[in-house]
Amino acid sequence: MKPLDQCPSSKKAGLPGKDELALIPSDLPRLEGQATRMWRSLDEAADTAEFRDFLHREFPAGASELSEPATRRSFLKLMGASVALAGAATVPGCRRPDHKIMPYAARVPENTIPGKPLFFATSMPLPGGGAEGLLVETHEGRPTKVEGNPLHPMNQGKSSVWAQSSVLDMYDPDRLKFPIYRPKAGDERTASWEDFRPWAVDHFAKFDATRGDGLAFIVEKKTSPTRDMLRERLRTRFPKAMWVPYSPASSDAAAAGSTIAFGAPMRELLTLTEAGKVKAKVIVSLDRDFLDAPEAGQLRNAREFAATRRVIATTDEMSRLYVVEPGFSNTGACADHRLRLAPSRVPAFAVALAKKIMEKAPGTGGALASALGGLAASGTDIPEAFVDAVAEDLLFASDGHGGKTTRTGQTVVLAGARLPAATQALVHAINGVLGNIGQTVSYVPMTQDEAAGDGIVALAKAMAEKRVKTVVCVECNPVYDAPADVDFAHAYEGVTSICLSVGSTETAAASMWSLNGAHYLESWGDTESADGTIAPIQPMIAPLYEPSLSEIEFLALIADPNGGMTAPATTTPAPPATIRPGPNAAPPRPLRVDDGYALVRQAWRQRLGASVNEAEFEKRWRRALHDGILHGSTPKPAAPTVRSDEVARAVAAMTIEPAPSAQALDVAFTTTHVHDGRFANNGWLQELPQAATRVVWDNPAMMSPKTAKELGLLPDKYNKKHPDDIYTKKYPEARVGKLDVGGRSLEIAVWLCPGMADHTVLLPLGYGRTVCGRVGDGVGFNTYAMRSSGAPWMMRGGKASATTRGYAIASTQNHWSLEGRTAILRQVDLPAWAKHGGEPVRIEPDRLYDTRKELPFGERVSHGELTHTPPNISIYPHPFREAEGKPSPQDETMNGRGAKPAPGSVYSSRPQWGMSIDLSTCTGCGACTVACQAENNIAIVGKKEVAKGREMAWIRVDRYFTGDDPNEPTRMLHQPVACVQCENAPCETVCPVNATTHGPEGINYMVYNRCIGTRYCANNCPYKVRRFNFFDYGVTRFNGDYMGKDMVEKLPMVPGHGNGSTAHNKINPNLIPPRLREKLEEISKLQKNPDVTVRSRGVMEKCTYCIQRINEARIETKLQNLGDIPDGLVQSACQQACPSGAIVFGDLLDTESHGGRGSRAREMHLHQRSYMLLGYLNTRPRTTYMVHVANPNPKLRTPIEDPFGHHDDHDSHGHEGEHGGKPSGGHSDLGVSRSSFLRDSAKALADRGYAVSLKVLGSLA
Amino acid sequence: MLFGKWMNALPTVGAIAGLGGVCTVVWGFWYWATPKYWEVGYMPIQPSTGFNHQLHAGKLGIDCRYCHTKVEESPEANIPNVATCYGCHAENHVSSQLVADDKIKFIRTAYEANESIAWRRVHKLPDYVRNFPHNAHVRAGVSCFSCHGQITAMPEVVQRESLSMSWCLSCHRDTPKHPELHLVPQDKVTRLFDVEQHLASMKEEPGRGSPVFAGFSAKAVYESLKLNPPDNCGACHY
Repeated sequence: MKPLDQCPSSKKAGLPGKDELALIPSDLPRLEGQATRMWRSLDEAADTAEFRDFLHREFPAGASELSEPATRRSFLKLMGASVALAGAATVPGCRRPDHKIMPYAARVPENTIPGKPLFFATSMPLPGGGAEGLLVETHEGRPTKVEGNPLHPMNQGKSSVWAQSSVLDMYDPDRLKFPIYRPKAGDERTASWEDFRPWAVDHFAKFDATRGDGLAFIVEKKTSPTRDMLRERLRTRFPKAMWVPYSPASSDAAAAGSTIAFGAPMRELLTLTEAGKVKAKVIVSLDRDFLDAPEAGQLRNAREFAATRRVIATTDEMSRLYVVEPGFSNTGACADHRLRLAPSRVPAFAVALAKKIMEKAPGTGGALASALGGLAASGTDIPEAFVDAVAEDLLFASDGHGGKTTRTGQTVVLAGARLPAATQALVHAINGVLGNIGQTVSYVPMTQDEAAGDGIVALAKAMAEKRVKTVVCVECNPVYDAPADVDFAHAYEGVTSICLSVGSTETAAASMWSLNGAHYLESWGDTESADGTIAPIQPMIAPLYEPSLSEIEFLALIADPNGGMTAPATTTPAPPATIRPGPNAAPPRPLRVDDGYALVRQAWRQRLGASVNEAEFEKRWRRALHDGILHGSTPKPAAPTVRSDEVARAVAAMTIEPAPSAQALDVAFTTTHVHDGRFANNGWLQELPQAATRVVWDNPAMMSPKTAKELGLLPDKYNKKHPDDIYTKKYPEARVGKLDVGGRSLEIAVWLCPGMADHTVLLPLGYGRTVCGRVGDGVGFNTYAMRSSGAPWMMRGGKASATTRGYAIASTQNHWSLEGRTAILRQVDLPAWAKHGGEPVRIEPDRLYDTRKELPFGERVSHGELTHTPPNISIYPHPFREAEGKPSPQDETMNGRGAKPAPGSVYSSRPQWGMSIDLSTCTGCGACTVACQAENNIAIVGKKEVAKGREMAWIRVDRYFTGDDPNEPTRMLHQPVACVQCENAPCETVCPVNATTHGPEGINYMVYNRCIGTRYCANNCPYKVRRFNFFDYGVTRFNGDYMGKDMVEKLPMVPGHGNGSTAHNKINPNLIPPRLREKLEEISKLQKNPDVTVRSRGVMEKCTYCIQRINEARIETKLQNLGDIPDGLVQSACQQACPSGAIVFGDLLDTESHGGRGSRAREMHLHQRSYMLLGYLNTRPRTTYMVHVANPNPKLRTPIEDPFGHHDDHDSHGHEGEHGGKPSGGHSDLGVSRSSFLRDSAKALADRGYAVSLKVLGSLA
Repeated sequence: MLFGKWMNALPTVGAIAGLGGVCTVVWGFWYWATPKYWEVGYMPIQPSTGFNHQLHAGKLGIDCRYCHTKVEESPEANIPNVATCYGCHAENHVSSQLVADDKIKFIRTAYEANESIAWRRVHKLPDYVRNFPHNAHVRAGVSCFSCHGQITAMPEVVQRESLSMSWCLSCHRDTPKHPELHLVPQDKVTRLFDVEQHLASMKEEPGRGSPVFAGFSAKAVYESLKLNPPDNCGACHY
């Protein structure tokens, strides 16, 4: 490995020849002698020159300099224009702007205290069924932030990325704002609900004669008792109408599979822990991303799984996770053993596993065993040893004395949505055989809508045959997302179509009536979550675009012969109005049959039955609105018996597919953060890096590097024509491939994803929207065009070929890299933890301060970085110094490790804030990133800016692959990194204007109004956590859109030809006067958190541990005379959202909370597994990490019992190569010890300043 | 001779003039370009007849918290809603005998139309200073007077203090040393005339204070409440 050389003069000479750099995965250099190699991208694994150049610059190419060498003349011209504009604006700007205060008019709404937020419980229906219980922060009636409801059994205070970002959807400026009527093609009229009602009365009256024949409803698959009631109401009026629940991202196979196994469609409910004990000791996931995919039980699964992985004591038990999957999911990242397997082969694996289990436990299968006997499931892609080990592990546990005990009811096998129904049924049967049903997995009956089969095909047929004349489409978008072979869009043109939608959709744009719907934060409703708990939806705000109806109101309108104008049968008290009107204000709206509040109450009234009297109902209703759940509604999950014969019959009919080949690829579909496409106009989700690829704003087809190479789809990595012109290399490029499958073809960019099954293509759904708004329009490729109704999730026999085109893709995988420092993400195996975790903390002298430092287990693993702190002197005074003079050695330890600061020293008073992140439980879901974005008003920047490395997320999730083979990495690991709040912060010492300073509570402050934008701090930050506002991201939409469509064109990329990137930056945005850029919509500003400054251009920003929440809590504890801030009163936004509870934040000096155990953050900081990131730099970070613990099966991989390696000897500093700076020797004349790894003597030759520094340090050491 | 002897003095004169010029410019900035010059005395015209604090809070002796109801609970000292005004100024109510109807017509119009009244903001901190917490200051015993001046004597509210950062810090740094110069009894923070007298006499002769506040020890309050006025950046800027 060549030294990491940052000297510009040696750049040209020192790099390997450009021709060597073409990325050929099989030729990747392997590092000798290193057990685990970690890398983030194929470029890093291959150590290409581009990657190194990328690292050496603080920001990727083009971030810092004018990208186009603008001519002086054009510069002056543009500057002249902006100065003129500025001048014109300055003259009236001399006067102080007139600020107004608008008090409430008549009466302040109930409980409102101006300046303080209110929290209301509600719930969010998840597409495809299920729900999240939420608590929404509102500021003077304006919802700004969504949190999980602590009382809701699914959420327990946590929330997913979809819930977190849903608040932005409400303020989506491209929402439908009023009804539009299109009587015929090309004739579009703005209409109102008052136009629609009489039209609807007339129109639907026609169907009264036919009893609904010719009428169809397409609704989302959703679990809502009120909607179920309205479905029945519609059936009463139109018994012959078609009712089609449709969700493109949910699978019918799950319902079908459970119907085979149990006789009725059932929803799985996992119980991985019980009473704090690990219940599921072995988890086998067959292509099921149960921790992160948009599935109804995701939060519960993540929480319980994390509880089985959080080892605190050395004797703690830990679950073992096996994952068999085609692409790398976040669940695969958590796996102890992962088998990459083509999606069409996963059923074969299930069969092989079932056979093996029945072989090992004879007599358990019955009819199933004989059915399985007829299937040949072996193959080279399904290693016998793996199947054997998994089956053995599922059945038996070693009792530690050479014997075996059975694991009945202590394991669980999970089947993913992509698997066919027979495989799902087989997996249910396996769980039955293993005795898991009723133990680790139990069942809740699916609702009728949830279990409904795919009726969209029958509907499209009926539409094409003119049997259906009117289609009512509610909150779904089949014109865009129906399978391609259905040709829904064409059939839809021929019918009378009515579409209710919140956001702009393709379906709404193609409908005769497009009606504006109310967002769930604006309407009444209810939900049923995966475990059957019923929760109310209550409005946080009146609809922004009034009048607008919610789904249930709209259905009630249609069910009512008077178009919703009938007064309801039962008298219901009016909902408490948000603003009570003055005496002469308009009289309250007469209560109508389509009033959401009345509808929900009716549905609940029906559900609770006559046994609950009026007063009791009122009590329970009010309690439900307050708590956010209907108490007592959670059913006891069932433990049905598997119908073995039925499953055997289904299994016998299975066909085992052969492994795919380069000529017949497997093509599978998957979803990402935009879900089925419904969140495509949500910038937070678009800019959240996707699992495994870290791609944003795009959905390239994923392929393994080996397959891509075979098919000639490798990107052309380097501009050979201008080898020196490396700065034009702005965007990671992908090659566009042509994919043919099932008679359809699509040109799509190809992204190489390590760890994918070979000969498999994964296509993320939900992109390539054409009508959704300024954020999502034209982003990515529409992969629904490849989908067929017969096999919606998986197709075989695909072919792919290369085109000559390239495609720019923004991926964050190489951004903010910590430059090859190896011990960043530390991992050990469980036996190593069990053996060494209990060893006493080693005490060593701290040569920097003449004190001592404590080295717990976490600091000693992975080469024991901290023990290798080079002989040096600290330019920082010791933070724990006594009031005067030196620190006292007996008091001092590294902070966070039982910190006992001397009285009167800097950090001696409570609170001292700190954070701990457990790498064992982090699933990499990204909820922290979105929560932070919402809480701290972090702007999105768009694809082009991300490609330049300018994304603004304060907490990023770094993703690492490990292992030597880029095609088959051993693991994928996640590490969230935000500002670690160094006690000795390198950023502070370099700020020329003191804009970043240290507070008495250990937080590194960022004062935005002081910042002059030198970016020295970002340059000096070893953690790369500072973000710079290159533009007014917070208040302007850059160039009018987020994609920079006029700039990021598809790059012409003929091999050997220039890559055309010079064309992209014709206009330097730096020179566009801010006034000429497009402002953010006013409506988007309403989402901003009023407690946090919206940063402007030229200002640095970074994580501040949610200091606004800390300050609020401090004032509140003072007002309430609570003394010190109690543990848990302040939660950082990331901690609050984190579904697996990996992030813990609190006061490190709190020794009193939790019955004397101290705050959780303190407990975790003191824990043996905790370590400091780059601790040897003497930054003394306040955020520490906890070593990742894996639990490998000794039959598949021998666990490493010695985690310290041969580097643990702290007296030797001779570990060259490890940190990249290998001295090349022969420069002893500099008076520098050659052994110090921090000293790069090769560089000293080229860089005089560096040589002088070495001399100085050498003489001082 | 091309250069006269007098020219020998030129460098000296030039240097002095230059220095003087620099000093003037600096002084100019010091004087004119600071909040003390720009902000103090700001008195925007309030809508219609405005609100006479001198009359209501001074002559009639209405407590500040009668209108600014949430000042003890919220970071913001809220402006009263229209209904509060209307409470006294409804037709045929107590005020009818005291004030001409046309003067308060705007209140009735707004109330009846269920509309807000756009009062002009006088005291405004920049956007990068987050939420000046009124609740914390009132609890500590910092009187309204300390920041807003003698409101009870103002027919139109005018800004008395610069509200600059140095002004904030001067109090935050002085209070730990001399709490008696800044703190008054918590329950009497709104008695502005008494507060003014008290603080003035404390300044003149430490320990004297107003007889109305007899028995009040600012030091004891400071210690019992564990006050610790922050002077770090993160207290206000985030």
